[in-house]
Amino acid sequence: MESNAIISINRVNFYYGAVRALTDISMKFRKNKVTALIGPSGCGKSTLLRLLNRMNDLIDGTRVEGEILFEGQNIYAPDVDPVEIRRKIGMVFQKPNPFPKTIYNNIAYGPKLTGVNAGDLDALVEQSLKQAVLWDEVKDIMSKSAMNLSGGQQQRLCIARALAMKPDILLMDEPTSALDPISTAKIEELIEELKKDYTIIIVTHNMQQAARISDETAFFYIGNLIEYNKTEKIFTKPEVKQTEDYITGRFG
Amino acid sequence: MEEKRHTSLHYEKELQAIKDGIIYLGALTETAIRKAMKSLSDRDTELARSVIRDDDEIDRLDTDLEERCIKILALRQPTAIDLRFITTAIKITGHLERIGDMAVNIAEKAMQLNEEPQLKPYIDLPRMADLVGGMIKDSLDSFVKSDLDQAEKVRRVEQVIDDLNEQIFRELLTFMMEDSKNIHRALLVMQVSKNMERIADHAKGIADMVTYMVTGECVRHRTCNMLE
Repeated sequence: MESNAIISINRVNFYYGAVRALTDISMKFRKNKVTALIGPSGCGKSTLLRLLNRMNDLIDGTRVEGEILFEGQNIYAPDVDPVEIRRKIGMVFQKPNPFPKTIYNNIAYGPKLTGVNAGDLDALVEQSLKQAVLWDEVKDIMSKSAMNLSGGQQQRLCIARALAMKPDILLMDEPTSALDPISTAKIEELIEELKKDYTIIIVTHNMQQAARISDETAFFYIGNLIEYNKTEKIFTKPEVKQTEDYITGRFG
Repeated sequence: MEEKRHTSLHYEKELQAIKDGIIYLGALTETAIRKAMKSLSDRDTELARSVIRDDDEIDRLDTDLEERCIKILALRQPTAIDLRFITTAIKITGHLERIGDMAVNIAEKAMQLNEEPQLKPYIDLPRMADLVGGMIKDSLDSFVKSDLDQAEKVRRVEQVIDDLNEQIFRELLTFMMEDSKNIHRALLVMQVSKNMERIADHAKGIADMVTYMVTGECVRHRTCNMLE
């Protein structure tokens, strides 16, 4: 699992005030792969995900030790602009959170801010919506409010919005936990498609989802990385007993 | 291998019920082999008939266990050790059901042989029957206890059975060469021996699945490397 790393985490500790949430994490994420982070609530998986695009910077009293290399550069180096990092490493959250704007403007908002000219915007919006497999459903209602879309459509809109920034990596924090099975299947299908062009790191509580869509799976427990291996291996013959106990439902 | 209990006690009970069912099915097949052998050595045709009748119960249990395993696959989506346990259980019930059929084959041959004078005293066949009965018991014990050593022991005994089968085969050839009137009976006895040998193969198949269940590695064929 060494080759083709797009992100390398080296001996990272993370603290919320005095509380250590992640302990000495070292791992690499491979390019154009889907990596699932699993573990019980409070295990640190979402914390780790948010560390990857410096979202934890926004929480007071947090502290990072160690380094996180994105294409060879430490994203926590003093001269790195977190906004630029977040452009390259996009994020999709648990609950769809479209802006209270039109469908078109939801996608165009970010690129406009970063100076994409108006002429190119239409094409970018269309391309992003097509990539998120939402275009056919919304192409005739682009000037309607995004708030009128269904939950599943809103989540694909949020993915399209992230893609419009042309990121390298998509972070997904339980992206389907608020969706019905059909919408979930559509997002999973989409993830499968997107990994051709993007690297995807997904936090999920749905073990079957991790098994279905990821290439690699990392199991976390109380802030420690317990096991990181090919998904097939984790779900058929994990190497660590704790992993096995968790995925077979023998925990606590 | 001491396993922690599942958080869901219902699930835990379903898995335990599968284990119990397999042990029961195993006990029925052991009895079937013992009775089939006895029906031959004691020339007891009525006992042979009971082996054939009792096979219906073995078939019914096989179907019932398989259905319950499939239900767990569909409803519980087992992973890791649970997944390997269920797939192993499905294979084991298949092996046991076939063992039941072989006991029926032996009983049928016994019924035919009992119609004619005995060709020779049976010495090696009862020994084979004891050994294959022990193999079934050991293979199922190894399943219940996840005991790799016991599974290995089953594989070793299988070699002994192969040798015995060949020895019986050679011996019966001499009877056939001696007098062509012996051929029919000798062939029937050969088939009994062959069925014993195939039962041993199935017991080895169970032991191999236990090794897979415990280690995740396939040892059924020289060529297989299922998870590598």
